[in-house]
Amino acid sequence: MSIVNTIPQHALERLKGLRSENNPKGVFTSDFSVNEFLLVRKAGFEPVGLCVGSCIFHVGIQYGSWSKNQEMTVLSQAMYQARESAMSRMREEAADMGADGVVGVRLEVKRLEWDANILEFVAIGTGVVHAKGHTTFKGPNGQPFTSDLSGQDFWTLLHAGYRPLEMVMGSCVYHVAHRGMLQSLGSVGQNVELTNFSQALYDAREIAMERMQQEAADAKAEGVVGVNLHEGSHNWQPHVIEFFAVGTAVVPISTELDASTIPDPQLVLSVNT
Amino acid sequence: MAWPRFPFGKAADTEADRAARDAALKRSADWEQALAHDRLPSFVEARLGEARAGQTPWTSTMTPAELLLAVTRGIRPVATVTGTCWYQYGRSWTEGHAAGWRSALHRLRAEAVACGANAVVDVKMRTVQGGFGASMDFTLIGTAIKVQGLAASNDPIIATAPLMDFVRLLQAGIVPVGLAVGAQYEWLIDQSKAYSGSWTWNNQELATLSRFWEQLRRAAYRELKADTARQGNGVLAHTQLSQLIKQEGSDKGPDRYLGRHIVLGTVVLSGESSPIPRGIETVVDMCDGPSPLDTHAADGSNIYGLNEREGAL
Repeated sequence: MSIVNTIPQHALERLKGLRSENNPKGVFTSDFSVNEFLLVRKAGFEPVGLCVGSCIFHVGIQYGSWSKNQEMTVLSQAMYQARESAMSRMREEAADMGADGVVGVRLEVKRLEWDANILEFVAIGTGVVHAKGHTTFKGPNGQPFTSDLSGQDFWTLLHAGYRPLEMVMGSCVYHVAHRGMLQSLGSVGQNVELTNFSQALYDAREIAMERMQQEAADAKAEGVVGVNLHEGSHNWQPHVIEFFAVGTAVVPISTELDASTIPDPQLVLSVNT
Repeated sequence: MAWPRFPFGKAADTEADRAARDAALKRSADWEQALAHDRLPSFVEARLGEARAGQTPWTSTMTPAELLLAVTRGIRPVATVTGTCWYQYGRSWTEGHAAGWRSALHRLRAEAVACGANAVVDVKMRTVQGGFGASMDFTLIGTAIKVQGLAASNDPIIATAPLMDFVRLLQAGIVPVGLAVGAQYEWLIDQSKAYSGSWTWNNQELATLSRFWEQLRRAAYRELKADTARQGNGVLAHTQLSQLIKQEGSDKGPDRYLGRHIVLGTVVLSGESSPIPRGIETVVDMCDGPSPLDTHAADGSNIYGLNEREGAL
C-alpha cells in the first residue's frame, strides 16, 4: 500500500529541503526536548522532520466460544495489520525526507467516539539523518530504521556499540474461557488457582512474544531492547484481552567493536532527595 | 508472517483448518499438563532453549543505558521471562495474594532455569485490570541475564531491581537474591460499637484499634523477616499495602473491622561492605521524566497503587 504517489511534487521538494547539513536554509521539525536534541546532535545526527503514519481501521467482529480459551485470530490480525500500516506509512514519509531513521516513535491506539469497532492507529516520530552522510545506519532492506527509543536512549545505544534496526512487535488477542457454573460453585469460598485463566494469559503472552521474536529474527537482529508487554482490552467484550509485545531490534555497529573499547559508564549515587 | 487459521463458523473446514485446530488443541493440552505437573510446556522450553544457545535474538526489558552497563560488565541479556498465576482468594484475600505471588515467582524461576540464566533482573509485578469476582492474575515479568564466566544456575537470583540498581548493589558488595513477601489480615469484632470513639468529644486514643492494627502490622513484618531469613540477610521493602476497613453492623450485629497489611521487598545478601568513594562530583542528568538518579522514581513494581508513600511521613 503506497501513498508516495499521492504526495504532491511540491511537498516532496519541501521535504527534501529539510536536510539541514546539505541545505542550511532548511527548517526541521521535531518533538524533541532540549536534552534529546542535544544528545541526538552529539550522536552525530540531525533531525529532519516529524514523520507520521496513521491508519483508521474497522476491526472485524468475532465472538469466542463461551467456555473455550482461544486466540481471536480476526482481532489479532486487525490489531497487527493496522499498526503495521501506520508504521510503514511513517517509514515511507521518513524515506521521502531522506532520513536514515526515525527515533522516539510513539505508537498509539485511539478509540473514535462514534463507533466502538473503529480504532485509530498512529505512529509519530522524528526523522533523523547522519550529519556526515554515513549510509550504514539504515534499517533492514535499506529502509530507514525505526525505534521507540528517546533521543537520550539513542545516544546511549550507539555508545553501547549497537544501532537500532526496527521496531518489532507481536500481537495476540485472546478469549479467556468462562468458567462453568458447576466449576465455579465447586470452588466458592476457597483459595485456589484458576488454572484455565492462568493458562489463557500465559499462552496469549507467549504467542505475542514468539511473534515479536520472529520479527527480530527476520530483521537479522542480535537482540531486542526496551521490550514492553502491554495488556489491553480495546472496548471488546469482557474476557477478551490483547497482549502486545513491542521493542527495538538492535545489531552491533560493527562486529570488530570489542567490549573493551567501549568507555566504562560511571555509576553515580545521587545526593538529591 | 503466517497467521494460524481458526475455523469459527461451520463453513470451509479445510485440511489447513483441521491442522490448525489440532495444533491449537495440542498446545492447549501441553499447557494443561505443564501447569498440573509444575513444569514448562515443551514449546516454551524449546524457545527458551534456543535463546539460551544464542540461536534466536535475545529479548530484554533493559534500556540502552542498562545494555551499555551490561556490555561493559560481562552481562548478557538472554530472554524476557514471565510467571503467571490466576488465583481465587475466596477464603482469604490476603493469603490469596501471598500464594498468588509465590506461585508466579516459582514459575518465573522455572523459565529462568530453562534459559540457563544466572539471574532475573527488573522483575515487575503486573495484573490485568478488572479481574473476575474474587480472583485476579498475579504476573511477574523480568529479564533473564547470564554473567560471563558463571555456570548456569539451578536456582537463579530473582531481583526486582532493574539492571542499573543490580550492578550498583553488586559494586557495593551486596547481592540482591530474591523477593520476600509478608502478608497478614485479621478481623476485629466490635460488639459494643465503641472502638471508633463516636461516644466521646475528647481527645482520646482508640486503644483497641491501635493495638489491633499495630499487632497486625508487626505480624506482617515478622513474616517478611522470616521469608527474608530463608533467602538472605536483609530486605529492601519497596511495596507496602495496608488497609483498615470498617463494616458497619446492623441494629443488633456488631461492627466489624478488617485489617490487612502486605509488604513485598527485594532480599539482599550483604557481605563486608566496601567503602563508597566520598568525592562529590557534579553531574548533569539529561534524562527527561523520572530519572534513575531520582530515588523517588517510580519503581514499577507497585501494582496496588495505594499508600505508596507510607512510611515516608
